[in-house]
Amino acid sequence: MSAQHSQAPDKATIELKGVRKSFGSVDVIHDLDLKIAGGEFIVFVGPSGCGKSTLLRMIAGLEEVTDGDILIAGRDVTDLDPAKRGIAMVFQSYALYPHMSVRENLAFGLEIARTSAAEIKRQVEAAAEILKIGPLLDRRPGQLSGGQRQRVAIGRAIVRKPLVFLFDEPLSNLDAELRVSMRVEIARLHRELGNTMIYVTHDQTEAMTLADRIVVLRDGRIEQVGSPREVYENPANLFVAGFIGSPRMNIIDGICLAANRLSIAGTEIELDRPLPAAPQEAIKLGIRPEHWLITDKQADALPAQVEFAEYLGSTQYVHCRLANGELVTIEQRGGTDAKPGERLWLNCHQAALKIFSMSGEARRRVPAPIE
Amino acid sequence: MSNRKAATARRRLFAVTRYHAIGLFISLLFIAPIAWSALVSFKPSSEAARPPLPPWPVEGFSTQSYENLAKYGVGIWTYAGNSLTVAAATVVVTVIISLLAGYGFSRFNFPLKNLLFVLIISTVMIPFQSILTPLFLILTKLGLQNTLPGIVLIYVTLHLPFSIFMMRNAFDAVPKEIEDAARVDGASVLLMLRRVMLPLVLPGVATVAIFAFLASWNEFLAALILLTDQKKYTLPVMMAAVRSGQFGSIDWGAVQSGVMLMMAPCLALFLLLQGYYIRGLTAGAVK
Repeated sequence: MSAQHSQAPDKATIELKGVRKSFGSVDVIHDLDLKIAGGEFIVFVGPSGCGKSTLLRMIAGLEEVTDGDILIAGRDVTDLDPAKRGIAMVFQSYALYPHMSVRENLAFGLEIARTSAAEIKRQVEAAAEILKIGPLLDRRPGQLSGGQRQRVAIGRAIVRKPLVFLFDEPLSNLDAELRVSMRVEIARLHRELGNTMIYVTHDQTEAMTLADRIVVLRDGRIEQVGSPREVYENPANLFVAGFIGSPRMNIIDGICLAANRLSIAGTEIELDRPLPAAPQEAIKLGIRPEHWLITDKQADALPAQVEFAEYLGSTQYVHCRLANGELVTIEQRGGTDAKPGERLWLNCHQAALKIFSMSGEARRRVPAPIE
Repeated sequence: MSNRKAATARRRLFAVTRYHAIGLFISLLFIAPIAWSALVSFKPSSEAARPPLPPWPVEGFSTQSYENLAKYGVGIWTYAGNSLTVAAATVVVTVIISLLAGYGFSRFNFPLKNLLFVLIISTVMIPFQSILTPLFLILTKLGLQNTLPGIVLIYVTLHLPFSIFMMRNAFDAVPKEIEDAARVDGASVLLMLRRVMLPLVLPGVATVAIFAFLASWNEFLAALILLTDQKKYTLPVMMAAVRSGQFGSIDWGAVQSGVMLMMAPCLALFLLLQGYYIRGLTAGAVK
């Protein structure tokens, strides 16, 4: 890596203050606040249409902000052109200029900024070295593979020496194998350059592996902000619980009978710790597939019938129906293969049991503040 | 075994021969009239006036027809110059306007956008002969009647609907993200249009240019009605005069040499831009 990149004043903070976006009468981003520390790798995740790409484009300056302020490195950039915000963006479709060679693609932004030819050459070569695209410099984008194009797109971002890198689902057009290797590259890039990066994806693996903090969005609102471990282990609500993790967390109905007695699908279960719920209160229980145990018949176990099983090599997902008809997924490592129609008895790791109110908020701890 | 191989080879030879023979025959059908015109144009005037068989000159090649044509009226170069000026100006103005309008219709949202677009396109349905009289009156009011700029204005107006439609489609086919990338790179709208968008919509531009050139180069009726001064005639009007003859005698050699002269730029332009042209017409047909 060249010295110039490591010396860049690249630890820019980003602050969104009451940011709102509406298209006509439809609000797509609702009064959103978020602080991103300098050098942090933030991942926006959420289902399609949740506003994650719109939010990224607002930070980039490609989408107007209806209300609120966006600060990059302490400077209000809300009304600035994209080029003046100190950002660089990598697009899902790469968005390379098809009629220019790789070299011209990389140099285009610098040419517009009237950088000297010698400096352009130096920076293009430095970026090409970081991304190992040196031999491709004289080719056109059409002559490159998907992975190479994405490297060039990232290279084009690097030569701008931005304060902040913005990635809009950069890997979703690549095949599975390439996606893994590019993911590792992006992580390396963040380690080497140290810039603040915002990354939009709907791929949970990318989110979990890359992020310092994950921002989970739904319908233009932040549902939770936290480290991958926080959002996985302590989801703030049912939405986050269901969205993060694959296969998704099992959500089943239950009734709190007493401080540490619970009824699930007609079976009473004794808990080793008190429930954060009032007696006779209906609650939702969240249990991750890996936290189920298949046991011999016990008093506290739930009867279930196997619907079908998916064999994945190291693990097996067993899809079962509980006595009340709810479908649950169990991750089974080792043991005998479950057969459709077979009766099982299920128990769960009580420490991993999540309790949610019927309206969906997690009961164990208050949601993490947006910080 | 070798018999079967030989049979296969024979079958293949027959298929190839048949394929090329049919192709050659169809090509001849298309080339024949052009070749005939070319051959007649090189006959001496006296021979050109006789019954046309055989089509090739028997009394030796002669450029007499071209010389006669060159001396026709105020001189062929004036007419060719007029035609070239009108066609080139029509191409330039049509391309510039349709480029900007197509970009606007493709990328910007404004009230009544679709209605306006349909309105522009719907003007194609008006037969232009039916509005010649009002056009003539408007041009007279503007003081542009019997001028080349006047006729250029008419041609541009006639070609714009198709050209705008063509350019809008060309811009629609360019992904929005490329423009976003250029904006992040710091390009202003005009710079982006010139350096990023223009090269990408070049097939569309070539198509528009070819259509505008061919149509304005060959246009006859409007030129005949709007141009009254012989010095301002374009080639088609001059050709009509050549064709109608002087004192009852028609110089068929001059007519054919005029045909060749008028065809040459069209052919050259088409051959030059045909790659772009075909890409322009099929843009967006497949991903």
